Amino acid sequence: MTAPAQQMPAPRPLVYAGAEDRYFDYCLQPYDPLRDPRGKLRSESLLWNSLDVARAAPSLDAALGAVQRTAGRDMTVVGVKHQGGRIWWELYFYDRLKEDPAVRAASIIDAVAPWFHVVPRPRETVPYFMFSFDVHPDTADGGRVDVVNLYLPYYEVQGGRSYKLSADRLEMDNVYRFLHPKTEIREIVHDVRQSVFVDFTRVPLSRILLPELIDCNRICVAKKRFADAVYYSGIDVGQLRFFLRTLCYPEPIVAFVEAQRAALDHLRFDVGIDYVMLPDGSLSTTKSSYYCTL
Amino acid sequence: MTESAMRDQVHPTRFRDLAVTVDFHCHSACTFCIVQEGMNNYRGVPFERFVAIVDENLRSRKYDRVIFTGGEVTLEKSLFQFVALARSSGAFRHVRLQTNGRKLADPAFTHALVEAGIDEFFVSLHGDTADLHDRITQRAGSFDELVRGLAHLATHPVRRITNTVVHRTNIGAFENIVGIAHAHGVSEMEFWNYLPMEDHADERNLIAPLPETMPSLRTALARCAALGIRAVTKYVPRCLLGEHGATLDNSQPDTIIVETFWNEFPRFACLYEGVCEHSDECLGLSHDYVRKFGWEEAALQPVPRTRPWRPRAGGVDGKADETADESAAPHGHPAWEALIAGVPQEAGHLVRVQLNRNQARYTLALPRGGATVELVLAARDQETPALARSASFNIFYTQLKGSYDRADMERLLRAAAERIIAHDDGSLSLDSRKGLVQLARKGKERPAVV
Repeated sequence: MTAPAQQMPAPRPLVYAGAEDRYFDYCLQPYDPLRDPRGKLRSESLLWNSLDVARAAPSLDAALGAVQRTAGRDMTVVGVKHQGGRIWWELYFYDRLKEDPAVRAASIIDAVAPWFHVVPRPRETVPYFMFSFDVHPDTADGGRVDVVNLYLPYYEVQGGRSYKLSADRLEMDNVYRFLHPKTEIREIVHDVRQSVFVDFTRVPLSRILLPELIDCNRICVAKKRFADAVYYSGIDVGQLRFFLRTLCYPEPIVAFVEAQRAALDHLRFDVGIDYVMLPDGSLSTTKSSYYCTL
Repeated sequence: MTESAMRDQVHPTRFRDLAVTVDFHCHSACTFCIVQEGMNNYRGVPFERFVAIVDENLRSRKYDRVIFTGGEVTLEKSLFQFVALARSSGAFRHVRLQTNGRKLADPAFTHALVEAGIDEFFVSLHGDTADLHDRITQRAGSFDELVRGLAHLATHPVRRITNTVVHRTNIGAFENIVGIAHAHGVSEMEFWNYLPMEDHADERNLIAPLPETMPSLRTALARCAALGIRAVTKYVPRCLLGEHGATLDNSQPDTIIVETFWNEFPRFACLYEGVCEHSDECLGLSHDYVRKFGWEEAALQPVPRTRPWRPRAGGVDGKADETADESAAPHGHPAWEALIAGVPQEAGHLVRVQLNRNQARYTLALPRGGATVELVLAARDQETPALARSASFNIFYTQLKGSYDRADMERLLRAAAERIIAHDDGSLSLDSRKGLVQLARKGKERPAVV
């Protein structure tokens, strides 16, 4: 007698573009769709697909729905994070001019309270223009979020610093800078090479600045506590497919993008790669991510 | 990226030349062949299609030259039929054959081709010795056949051009190849850097490392110059050509070939594209090269740009991926574009629509002079000063740019506002929670109330 096959839950439904949809990159900067979006998918479809793949509890859908209602449609940036086959999500909320109380940390934290407890409460006098926190497949089943990230801007230079806020400590986590991939390439190369994690006498620059992704709208170079990172913003669906394949994302995620390629080709995407050099001189991706808006 | 966009990016066309792929057979087996797999799948252009091409060109006179290629086109029995039509129709000034040159060893065959109307021969010469050339073509005797063919061509009043594929195997042979070509009266030589179309991982180990390749190539180009031979280079970085930079010509003819051919066409990039004066004509390095040998960031010597950088057609700022809508009109927000439809052409036109957090911003342009203005829609209220109000929106203007006549600009703004008021049935809305950030910060441009 054989055991019954495990029932796979039905995939979450596709979400199609609407007339009022806005198109934002992961900095919540607007962009023009590459083509007529009618009949095509909203970028949040990538999120729902990743929830399927990560077998996230349905409660997370409900929590994300509450986030969307609170922040407003298209107003939440979601990073789908990948590390060694593990998938989770980071939710980012922008309010550069502190003009919308609905996307202040307190409001979002209250909105998700029925599903999970966000422990840190940022002090609203901190001049953050964005905050974020991670959720995992089971977070919305009464879990807790112990860290909130706060992002502070530079003066004029596009970029910022992020800090990790937990119940009992606040620590600097990351500095990053956005640059134009063509006209500011010297600055990009300089910033990438300024590394304590990679020995560039052993690692070619082309392993980090990938030719397939460098045709993008902006590159972000980040210096983190335990890794360096490069982000490519404004890539097209073909480049997203390359990224997912190259970074060894779970096959159902790659397959989804390939199957829906024509329904995603009006969108731009953003991706990031965290990396360090291993003792043998090889480059190791410690984390990667792709982004959509909810 | 669309196939057409890809062609634009990597393959700017010689607009007056048309290449027609007549067949896909070959009796050589060049190690670097870019259609080795394609030979099994690709089909040549049917004669009936070529008849239509000829008819069209007789009307349009778009092309001066037709180039018959393959595969090895001399193996195709119907070649003479194609050539005869090309010549007898008068549709083309020049008829070129692109060949490995082996069948030209037969003087009668060569004579027949010339008699049929071919006045330009583009033949492949990849080695400076029989040993090297035959090793590359993987056919013993192919070099001797080619050299006899060049000798036969020298007895006819035809243009002779050689093509050498630059790859790892023939580094160091280029200067002597020039000598062989010169000895046979060749007037033009082309050196094409190898494109790994069917072997992106370069398992055949054919991609030539440029630091090794370029000194030899520059020497060959210097010899061409000394001998009065016109030289053309393709797919090498211009800055590595030194004083021979002007030989770089990455253009190709318009090519009638199965569309899938372009799927595998290499992509190119250069770290210095945005800062180099020559990036408009230089493609940089193939992605396959960069993966194997790196960006060559120390070797490349960009010439500082004197003009603003603009993205190449087909780059990420252009149309991306398949099925691109080639229309120049905006098309990203159709419902919002419909809201303003009907502005008379003589008043101006819509350049783009962009939806911000809380605004729809229409960039409008006057019909002449290039002046633009942004018409801004925000959620309607009764308190905020506005140019006009529709059912759902306050309407403002901002960002006046360029020189314009005030009456012309007022006519455009009035026409646009009227269309929005007429079309706004309340079915579209904007988030009212956030303030008018950009307008509030532009005090000098605060719009007047009408």
